[in-house]
Amino acid sequence: MMIYVLFGIVTVICIYTVRHYFFTLNRLFGFQRHPYIDTDTADWPNVTVLVAAHNEEKVVSHILGALMGVSYPEGKLLVVPVNDRSTDRTREIIDSFVADHPDRIRPFHRTGGKGGKAAALKDAMEMVETEVVLIFDADYIPGRALIKQLVAPFFDPEVGGVMGRVVPLNVGTNLLTRLLDLERAGGYQVDQQARMNLRLVPQHGGTVAGVRLSALREVGGWNDNSLTEDTDLTYRLLLAGWKTVYQNRSECYEEVPETWPVRIRQVMRWAKGHNQALVTYGLPLLFGKHLATWRERVDGFLLLGVYLMAPVTVVGWLLALAVFYQGASPLHGIIAVLSITAYAAVGNFAAFFEIAAAARLDSTRDRIRLLPLLVLGFLVSIAAVSSAFVSQMMAPLTGAKFHWDKTERFRAPS
Amino acid sequence: MNPFLATVTLVLLAAALFTLPLLPALYELRRKHDAEPLSVIQQYAGDIRHFAGGFRTYIDGLRQPLQECVASGTSARGTLRDGGEYLLLGREDNSCFNSAGVMGGTTCPLVIAAGVDLVLPSGFTFIKEIYASGQFVGGEESTYRAILGDKNVHLQRASKVMRWAHATGDFQVDHDCDLYGRISSDGDMLLGSGCTFQRLNAPRIAMGSAGTKVESCRVQPSDAAPNRQAPEEPVRRRLIEGDWEIRSGEVVIGNIVSRGKLHIEAGARVCGSVKSNGEMVLDADVVVDGSLISAATMHIGPRCQIRGPVIAEHGMMIESGSQCGTAQIPTTVSAPIIDVQVGSLFFGTLWAREQGRVVPSR
Repeated sequence: MMIYVLFGIVTVICIYTVRHYFFTLNRLFGFQRHPYIDTDTADWPNVTVLVAAHNEEKVVSHILGALMGVSYPEGKLLVVPVNDRSTDRTREIIDSFVADHPDRIRPFHRTGGKGGKAAALKDAMEMVETEVVLIFDADYIPGRALIKQLVAPFFDPEVGGVMGRVVPLNVGTNLLTRLLDLERAGGYQVDQQARMNLRLVPQHGGTVAGVRLSALREVGGWNDNSLTEDTDLTYRLLLAGWKTVYQNRSECYEEVPETWPVRIRQVMRWAKGHNQALVTYGLPLLFGKHLATWRERVDGFLLLGVYLMAPVTVVGWLLALAVFYQGASPLHGIIAVLSITAYAAVGNFAAFFEIAAAARLDSTRDRIRLLPLLVLGFLVSIAAVSSAFVSQMMAPLTGAKFHWDKTERFRAPS
Repeated sequence: MNPFLATVTLVLLAAALFTLPLLPALYELRRKHDAEPLSVIQQYAGDIRHFAGGFRTYIDGLRQPLQECVASGTSARGTLRDGGEYLLLGREDNSCFNSAGVMGGTTCPLVIAAGVDLVLPSGFTFIKEIYASGQFVGGEESTYRAILGDKNVHLQRASKVMRWAHATGDFQVDHDCDLYGRISSDGDMLLGSGCTFQRLNAPRIAMGSAGTKVESCRVQPSDAAPNRQAPEEPVRRRLIEGDWEIRSGEVVIGNIVSRGKLHIEAGARVCGSVKSNGEMVLDADVVVDGSLISAATMHIGPRCQIRGPVIAEHGMMIESGSQCGTAQIPTTVSAPIIDVQVGSLFFGTLWAREQGRVVPSR
C-alpha cells in the first residue's frame, strides 16, 4: 500500500516539476505578452487607491509621499489610506498628509470591527466611487509611472483584476532578505509572467494590484473570512469570467521580512489562506460549469495546490524511507536511493531552475551564487507550511478561531 | 591505515565536498557584490519627451555662446564638459557641411546647435544630437542620431532617425523615411507613404504627404453615442464563448467580449469597449465608443472611428480614412506590428514595438 501512495506522491511532484520547467522555458524562449504596457495616452479614468495600514507608523509616510508624486491626471486620483484600528502613530501621520493634500487624500479611519486586511478593505469600499480601484500595502513605494501602468489593463473589458511585480527593497539586510529577493524574482519574473504568456491564471496579489469595481461587486466583494483575500479574489473573478492580468514591468518596491519568525508567520498565513481557497474553489474550478477555459481550470487547480505540496513532500520523504527499510518490492536497494535522490534533486528543486532563470532575466549576476543557500529557505518553508496544514486540520478539534497575523515592518521611520 | 584517522579523513572529505558548492554562495553572502535592490524606475514616468528634455538640459551651457554667434552671424566650435565636441551655427549657411567645409566628408561627429533656421544637406550622417532653435529642414537620405527642434521639423525623403526626435512645432516626414525610437511633436505630425516608425506621439498624426487630404471625422463617437452612460457608471458586459458577429448597422450598448473571433460589419456602432481573443475584423464605417482590444490580430476597415485605446497583441492594419482618438481625447494605438494606410488619422500615441509602416491606400 505504502509503495502505491509513494508512487502517487512522486507522480504529483513530477506534474509540478514539469509545470515549473514549462513555465521557465516559456519565460526564456516563448512569446512574451505585455499587451497593455504601451498605453501611455488615454482618457484615464478616475481611480481610487486604497492603502491598507494597520500599525504602519514606520512606513506609511513613504507610500503616501510617493503616491502624491505619481504621474496621473490631476483630479482623477483619490488616495484612501485605510487605517485599520492602528494603535501607533499611523492615524497622526495620515492626518498630517490629509492636511497637506486635502483634495487628494481622504482617510478611512477604522476603529473597530473584524480583524484582517480583507475586512478593512470591505469596510473601506463605502468610500469608493470609481470603477477602477488600486490596492497597496503600506510598505510599498510606487514609482511615478506605476498608477497609469496598473490602470491601463482596465481598458480591456475582459479584465477584472491586475497585478504588478513586487521587488524587495531591503535586499542586502541579511541572508533571509537575500533569499526572499531570489524567491520573489522567481515567483514574479518567471512564474507570474509565464502564466500571463500562456493565458493561464496569474494570481492577484492584493497589493501593487487593481480590481474593477463592477467585477468585484459581481463576485460578492471582499471575502473577510479569507486569510488570503487576494487568492480568494483571483478565483472568484476567474469563475465569473473575468481575467486577472499580470504586468511584469509594473514594478514596485516592498519590504520583505528580516527575521525568520516573521517570515514563518507570513508563509503560514499564506499557506492557510491558499488551502482555504483550495477547499472552497478546487473542485468547482475543475469540474464546475463556469466561464474558465480548460487550461485555466488545470493551472488554477495546480496553483491552488502549491501549498499542499509541502506536507505531501514530507509524507513522501517519510514513505520513501519506510519503503526503503521495509525492502518493499519492487522498490528496494539502489533503485530506492536513486528514486529518492532523483525526485528530490529534480522534482522539488525545479523551482531553483526557475529562480536562476529569473536572476538571468533580471541581469543580476552575482546574486545567483546564493542559489544553493535557498535549500535553507526551502526547508524552513516546508516545515512552516506543513505546520500550518496540520494546525488547519486540527482547528475543528482545537477550536482555533480566525486570526490575522500582520507582517512586522523593519524600516526606520522617516 | 589507523581506523580513527580514516574516519576523520572520511568525515572531513565529506564535509569538504558538501561545502564546496556553497563556497561561492558564502563568498557572495559575505562580500555583498550584488545585494542592491533590483533597479526599479521610480522617477521616470514614461514620457516620450524624456530624452529631448535631457538633451535640452545637456546643452543649456551653450545658450549664451549660441546667442553670441547669432548676434555676430558666425559659427564656433568647442568642447562640452564631458569632452564631446560641438558646433554652433549663428547664420543660415550650411557651407561647413560641404566636403570642402569643416566636416571634410559626409559624416558629422559634432553636437550641432543652431540659433537660426537650419537647412542641412542631403546624404549626411549626423552621429551626435542636433538642436535647432529655428526651423529644421533635413536633406534627403540623411541619417540622424537625434533632433530637437524648437520650431517645425521637416525630414526629407529617405531619411533615418536612429534614437529620438522632437519638434516643438509641427513635424513633417517625407516618404520612405525610417524613424527608430521616439518621435514626438507638440504640433501636428505628418508621415509620408513608405515610412517606418516605432513610437510616435503628437496631438494629431496624419498619414500621407503634404498634399493628402486627411480629415477628422465629422461625427465624434462620444457625441453620437446614444444613451451614453456616465463615466463612473459600470458598463454592462456581454461575454460570448466562441466567434461573434455584429451585424451591419447594428447599435450595441455595452461592452462586448468574445472568446473567439469577432467581426463587426459595416456601419455598426458599439457604445462601449470591444475585446476579442481571436482575430478581429472591422468593416467600413464602424464606430466604437470605447477601447478596441484583440489578443490576436486586428483589421480596421476604411473610415472607422475608435475613441479609446486600440491594442492588438500580434499585429494591426488600419485602413484609409479611419481615426483613432479625438482632438479632445487623445489615445494610444499599440501592437508589435502596425500597418497604417495613407489617409488615416491618429490623436495621441502610435506605438509599434517591432515596426510600424505607412502603406499606400488601396
